[in-house]
Amino acid sequence: MADIYVTNVRTYKAKKILSNILLYAFLAIIAIIILLPFYWMILSSLKSTVQLEQIPPILFMSPSDWKITNYTDLFVLVQSGQRAGEPLFPFFTYMKNTVVVSIITTAGTTITTILAAFAFARLNFKGRDILFAILLGTMMVPGEIFILTNFVTVYKLGWYSILDQSYLDVVLAMTIPFMTSVFYIFYLRQTFKQIPNELYYAAKVDGTTDFKYLLKVMIPIAMPTIITIIILNSMGAWSAYIWPALIACEDEYRLVSNGLRGAFTDTSTGRTDYGQQMAASVLVTLPLLLLFFVFRKQIMRGVSRSGIKG
Amino acid sequence: MEKKNNLRAWLYLAPLLILMAVFTFYPLINAFIVSSYKGYLPLSGTADGIDLFYNYGVILKNPLFKKAVINTFIIAGVSVPISILLSLLIAVSLKSIPKLKGAFQTIYFLPYVTNTIAIGMAFAFMFHEDYGVINLVLGWFGINPVNWLGGTATYAAQMIALLILTIWNGLAFKILVFTSGLENIDKQYYDAAKIDSASKWTVFKRITVPLLSPLILYISITSVIGALKAYNSVVGLFGDVKLGAQNNSMITIVAFVYQYKDGYTDKGYISYAAAASIILFFITAVISILQTIVSKKRVHY
Amino acid sequence: MEIKMVNLTKIFISKGKKEVHAVDHVDLVIPSGKLIGLLGPSGCGKSTTLYLIAGLLRQTEGQIYFGEEEMSETPPEKRGIGLVFQNYALYPHMTVRENILFPLENLRVEKEEAKKRTYDMAKLVGLEEMLDRKPKELSGGQQQRVAIARALVKTPRVLLLDEPLSNLDARLRLQTREEIKRIQRETKITTVFVTHDQEEAMSISDEIVVMKDGVIQQMGEPQAVYDKPANLFVAKFLGNPQINVFDGEIKNKEILIEGMVVGKKDMPDQKIFVGVRPEAFVVDNENQASFRFKVDLVETIGRDTTLIFDMQDDSENILDKKTFKAIIDAGFRIKADDIVHFNIKPDKMHLFDLNGNIL
Repeated sequence: MADIYVTNVRTYKAKKILSNILLYAFLAIIAIIILLPFYWMILSSLKSTVQLEQIPPILFMSPSDWKITNYTDLFVLVQSGQRAGEPLFPFFTYMKNTVVVSIITTAGTTITTILAAFAFARLNFKGRDILFAILLGTMMVPGEIFILTNFVTVYKLGWYSILDQSYLDVVLAMTIPFMTSVFYIFYLRQTFKQIPNELYYAAKVDGTTDFKYLLKVMIPIAMPTIITIIILNSMGAWSAYIWPALIACEDEYRLVSNGLRGAFTDTSTGRTDYGQQMAASVLVTLPLLLLFFVFRKQIMRGVSRSGIKG
Repeated sequence: MEKKNNLRAWLYLAPLLILMAVFTFYPLINAFIVSSYKGYLPLSGTADGIDLFYNYGVILKNPLFKKAVINTFIIAGVSVPISILLSLLIAVSLKSIPKLKGAFQTIYFLPYVTNTIAIGMAFAFMFHEDYGVINLVLGWFGINPVNWLGGTATYAAQMIALLILTIWNGLAFKILVFTSGLENIDKQYYDAAKIDSASKWTVFKRITVPLLSPLILYISITSVIGALKAYNSVVGLFGDVKLGAQNNSMITIVAFVYQYKDGYTDKGYISYAAAASIILFFITAVISILQTIVSKKRVHY
Repeated sequence: MEIKMVNLTKIFISKGKKEVHAVDHVDLVIPSGKLIGLLGPSGCGKSTTLYLIAGLLRQTEGQIYFGEEEMSETPPEKRGIGLVFQNYALYPHMTVRENILFPLENLRVEKEEAKKRTYDMAKLVGLEEMLDRKPKELSGGQQQRVAIARALVKTPRVLLLDEPLSNLDARLRLQTREEIKRIQRETKITTVFVTHDQEEAMSISDEIVVMKDGVIQQMGEPQAVYDKPANLFVAKFLGNPQINVFDGEIKNKEILIEGMVVGKKDMPDQKIFVGVRPEAFVVDNENQASFRFKVDLVETIGRDTTLIFDMQDDSENILDKKTFKAIIDAGFRIKADDIVHFNIKPDKMHLFDLNGNIL
């Protein structure tokens, strides 16, 4: 019986080293695959047209060969046509729009989420569980169902008009419909529920009102979760595509995603200026990456918690 | 007291419920209503009549919708299993390297914090027949340049490019979630498995996967739902006009719905869109329910 | 299978970069076929020692041998050990049968034989009716027996048990204790049993090893260690109620506590600690024996009476008072505030120098 356990220690060690090498190689290859699109985007944005169209493509370029003309070209003013006088890619306008929409949506979502999560976590009222189940049920419904009716609603509210759409109209149309998130309510409710009941009763005995208790006790305790919600939600505006495309009648009202696609292809020749396209992509990606590197811990913790149910 | 409590609760819920009533519940109900109208014009609110199945009939007969359904099913059916298996393997590998784990994890998470359109455009240029890095790398292995996205690209080539982008995009979230799921498994089970002389593969198959099965089920349901709504990646790769190397060759169900997006002034268009989105809803619901039922027999514990 | 540890050391680096010597230069031979209790307070390094034997932890220094074979670098799956974890670590998604079968599958035991051995093992621990249940459908005691069956089914060379009874209630603990003893006798497998409960270790073990701060204090048969502790720590750790420790001295070859003669010792004059087991006190009021005290409290439980007393300690704070205990036959009628005279049995009295070493 015993002999099955006997082992050659040296073989075992060699095996272990080999499997470690394979492991690191696997992880490194995956890392390269993950990074490659970023690398290619940045590298291409720094190439001249001639370098871009070189066959086979250039994979490495020394910094001395980098060109920033693709970036500067984005800000060159258009000479003629409808958009005369505007930059080729009005990055800062798009950025401003995106940031405005992002801040207002996030502020609204955070407020409705905190209030609702408090009601569901702390207050007893008739129909609470049924209502919560219904809200959870809406998470299953694809957003595409809502979008056309919502468009008509927004139209009827006067926020959409091809002729005289104001900036305020656009901002309202892009933010008001997105100020609710059942998922964040679910997420924050979990956090609220972990705050011991005794705290609430103690506050009641001290004569604290519900609202003051929410403000002074629950929100400060749940702050890490709320910050996660704020960060994750504000990232959403960067990826929003279809709704802003639908709403913005004027070019200058667009958000970054919409401005990005479609630009840089000459409609008459069908030729795409890849260098400028990549430069614009880099500009659009950069703010998100910066946000990520500043709030890396919160973002990763928030996302991983949101993935693990319950 | 009871009544007062009720009133107060509804006050806290009011902002949420008012917004949801207007922008969630009303459009949901309206979609069902609108899908039963014939020749409906939303701005004036007039219709030629009510026919419960007319719009569904039109949609189901539309070859473009069939194409959209097939494309969507291929995207979901291929990308979800591959990305789940791959991210599981990566998460398990990460677990056994305590040293560089943090650095790798951060790199793997990057796709989550990018703009889908921007990264889709980067992929489009990577797949460029002449100037792209993909064909360059394939060339190292003696493979001739492939026309991935150009006007005459084959269906298979376009689909592979789209699947690669979809998988790449979805890995970040899954790796992160599985990594933290693994951290929550009691280390004692792994110690016990070592004592029980289990090989690495046996540990993965018999311990890790079963113990992670509730999480795997949850992630696969949400991933399938996500994949059924594929749209932004198609737009990033092909643009929102063509939706494929040939017109609409990579159309998805969501893209099919959105082609009616400017049709609010055209008779009946919004009803087609509503019908198509309700079909998507039912597909999503049925698949999630099926997945839950099938897995219930396997997800035990 | 004899287990031999030579100069075995495990150093953990704690968060503040401090080195913690969890196991400190341990030399130990565990004889073949015996059940050894590894005993000590929490944090003494007993579990670490067990994990080092198992190979789940890697030693910083030193060697481990099973018989003649060196195991120091061998991974746990190749050591041929069975281990019962404190929380059993039964695979929650597998049935009892699958749990017991699992090690055999990994060792590629032929199917029919594996089935038979699983059944035999389940029978040995009395769970042959429960084979198709999941762990969570079992009681704590049953789970613990599954864990033993899983550890034993591969006929390991060594069986290791890490606080296996700590999660059971008092009644089950006694019962399972007997069970483990019986199984060990039947299988004659070298067994190391880690516990912080001295009574448990004393009752189950052929020999006990007392550890403190990663260092072995004493090894021997339980009663021998109890009767002849090597130092003050061992004396205090074994026995319930704890041994009484008096400040005393040797003067003119007499042992004195608070100036009262309690025995003789042929040694130079010095300050000492006198350890007196509670059962060492013999009431001797007729002869007005030298050692006496005023009783504070009397507790009579069954056939024993426990007298609680303090010496002439004038501490203000009642919690600071150092109290002592004497256990005598309940036949003596003694009340609180009585002054009682005692003789002390010499074999139940142990003398230590001020460093705690036995004299």
